[in-house]
Amino acid sequence: MAEGNGRDALAGIRVVECGDFVSSSFAAKQLADLGAEVIKIESPGRGDTARHRGPYAGTPDLDRSGLFLYLNTNKRGIAVDLESASGREILARLAATADLVIHNVAPADIDRLGLNDVRLRAARPELVVTSISPFGLAGPNRDLHMHDLNLWAAGGIATLNGGGPGSDDMPPLKGFGQQAGYQAGLNAAVASLGALYATLASGEGQLVEVSVQECLTSILEMAYEFYPYMGLVASRLGQKPIAPLDFLECKDGWIFICCVEEHQWHRFVELAGNPEWATMELFDNRLSRAANWDALQIFLSEYAAEQTVENLYHEAQARRVPFAPVSTMGDLLASEHLKTRGFFATLDDGSGAEAVMPGAPYRHALTPWRIRKRAPRLGEDTDRVLGDLGYGPADLGRLRATGVIG
Amino acid sequence: MSRDEASPNVKRKPLAGIRVADFTWVWAGPFCSLQLAHLGAEVIRVETASRTCVTRLLPPWPDAQPGVNRSGYFNQYNQGKRSLSLNLKDERAMEIARDLIRASDVVVENFAAGVFARMGLGYETCRALKPDVVMISLSGYGASGPESEYVSYGPAQVPLSGFSSVTGYRGWRPMHIGVSYGDPTAGLQGATAVLAALIHRRRTGQGQFIDLSQWESTMALLPEAILAQTMSGHAPERDGNRDPSWAPHAIYRCAGDDRWVSIAVADNAEWRALANVIEPALAADTRFASAAARKQNEDALDAAIGAWCATRTREEVRDTLQAARVAAFPVMTAKDLHDDPHLGSRDYFVELPHPEVGIRRHMGIPYRLHGTPIAVWRAAPCLGEDTDYVLRDVLGYREDRIEALRNASVLS
Repeated sequence: MAEGNGRDALAGIRVVECGDFVSSSFAAKQLADLGAEVIKIESPGRGDTARHRGPYAGTPDLDRSGLFLYLNTNKRGIAVDLESASGREILARLAATADLVIHNVAPADIDRLGLNDVRLRAARPELVVTSISPFGLAGPNRDLHMHDLNLWAAGGIATLNGGGPGSDDMPPLKGFGQQAGYQAGLNAAVASLGALYATLASGEGQLVEVSVQECLTSILEMAYEFYPYMGLVASRLGQKPIAPLDFLECKDGWIFICCVEEHQWHRFVELAGNPEWATMELFDNRLSRAANWDALQIFLSEYAAEQTVENLYHEAQARRVPFAPVSTMGDLLASEHLKTRGFFATLDDGSGAEAVMPGAPYRHALTPWRIRKRAPRLGEDTDRVLGDLGYGPADLGRLRATGVIG
Repeated sequence: MSRDEASPNVKRKPLAGIRVADFTWVWAGPFCSLQLAHLGAEVIRVETASRTCVTRLLPPWPDAQPGVNRSGYFNQYNQGKRSLSLNLKDERAMEIARDLIRASDVVVENFAAGVFARMGLGYETCRALKPDVVMISLSGYGASGPESEYVSYGPAQVPLSGFSSVTGYRGWRPMHIGVSYGDPTAGLQGATAVLAALIHRRRTGQGQFIDLSQWESTMALLPEAILAQTMSGHAPERDGNRDPSWAPHAIYRCAGDDRWVSIAVADNAEWRALANVIEPALAADTRFASAAARKQNEDALDAAIGAWCATRTREEVRDTLQAARVAAFPVMTAKDLHDDPHLGSRDYFVELPHPEVGIRRHMGIPYRLHGTPIAVWRAAPCLGEDTDYVLRDVLGYREDRIEALRNASVLS
């Protein structure tokens, strides 16, 4: 591992990322945004799936997809075909200069694409190789074909969301976006940094294995434990145990009302002007309010319909009642709180249009998260990175002519 | 005395030798320190009997009998940690807390912004006690900004972050995700932030403060919706399980009681494979011939696939479609996961003895470090279980001093 620069926490750590779409890209992004030098390998011509997904400011363009621009900040990009022996040779030479290789290649393809960790580490013992796969590197489900939605279902979260009273026919519901990929990326970053920390002491690298299904099963809150502890299977169906914890429509949008503790309910009732319905015995405590939610919901909905989201949110919070707006994307971008903190990052999408995206998820006092460069165009850094590995102009010409690089 | 014949640091785990003073509660903070415990740090939770972690008071409990050491919620997210109980209203307990910080490398807390400082343990205090300390605060709104002292609960964090406005059935109201999603998301990013700071500390000797806003770290997982707004001028509509460009992409009802299967197709080749299994005529149907056509005719597409699934078990759907390399997998319940042969084969579940709940199955560590093996070394601690160990072995207090503190009700 090279020396740091004193400014970025992970400066001098070289990462080769060799994956597709969300999980490995997001894992490597987190390290890149903290200063690691990340070189992303994509397939020539097609590039990463995220390039094809948008959103785009104008016409679809592989170099201007918002999702790709977000997931690949601060990285350099090379296009190399790992299906070819010459491409795998490039990967091997690059990995021999790296501290971490991170990929989400399917287990059955790992050896074929030159990502066997034992072979990579034979050339560089201090190398950490992190593999992200749907079910991990062993077990009967290892080679099943899975997309994000399937993993969300496999991880046990989908069954917990959707439906509800009166809508039991509706299917289990996913959260917005490629959330299995993000959770895997979060875990892969933690595990990879843990392994790199060990390498600092020992000089030895290792294989790190991340199972996406397991990442999701590890965040089921108390829903899983109801089964081993009480024999109960948690479900999206049926009534919530306590109330109110629900979405209500105001004049100008939606709010989430949240009274977990009795004092929060009492302060909310006071805020609402102590209406007569609030004194009914049916609504005496959080359990009875849940049992009588059908009735309570009518009163609360009538109340909320007269309010604005902003006013109810801030008035409730002024009384330490944890309501929250159901923020629209426009609300987030306009939030005074987030503006004051300078949360959003603005990048050029490559055509001069602005891409405003999530910024620092944490703020280190000495080594702040920062964007040093925008995501690479497909193959933008191929020549320079391969040049540094010793490939001359003639080599590059030959590799390009045979489609090995792009 | 504690159940820890095997000390957590005997094996050379990555964070062996790192000690964490853990002042967290509920889920986000404990999930952050859980990762550090998984990686081999000695995590010492500072708890107060009169105001225990919320999760100690929540179900599930064996035999439906509540008890601070009996909650499956607490026991899941505090595996491999120690518990020091201190009555922090007593100045002598605060002195112990300060001694613990002196002896620690990392301090983690997730109170609302400002609360920890008002307790007398802000970053400046911690740094004075331990100059190279890495400290992270995982507050709901972050340490600055006009709403920084607002109250943040897990279920409210999901709508606040923007997730609810884009999650839900088409034309329906906003919905949740199924868990308090911002909490583990913040906890994992907090662990990454701490690990990066530890790497920096190891290379420079410098500790530092990290301000994490759960709101912001949750938005890190919502770029597509935010970018749709900023790049194309409109946020995505709530659209159930559908995908903006892939189809089919849905969860279908199968035979049986509340049994479902997820099916997703990313390209035309996967579509043809699926169609050929269901009904070869579908593969030739021009309404479904391209991704754009399938998106346009998605209701008809879902009706055709749904009818096929409805008469089959989810296992049959999975096996038949996976044999054709189509991504299909059942919607797993807690019982399904508990009994799952795949997870069972992976040495993933943790079943360790606990004095009050016996041996129960818990979810384990979703990552494996093959060179420096990590494993949960002990079940979650009972309240105050490690008080004597910490005072005696970590802080070097003499037995008579510990006894005097206990008699003065400082250790509760």
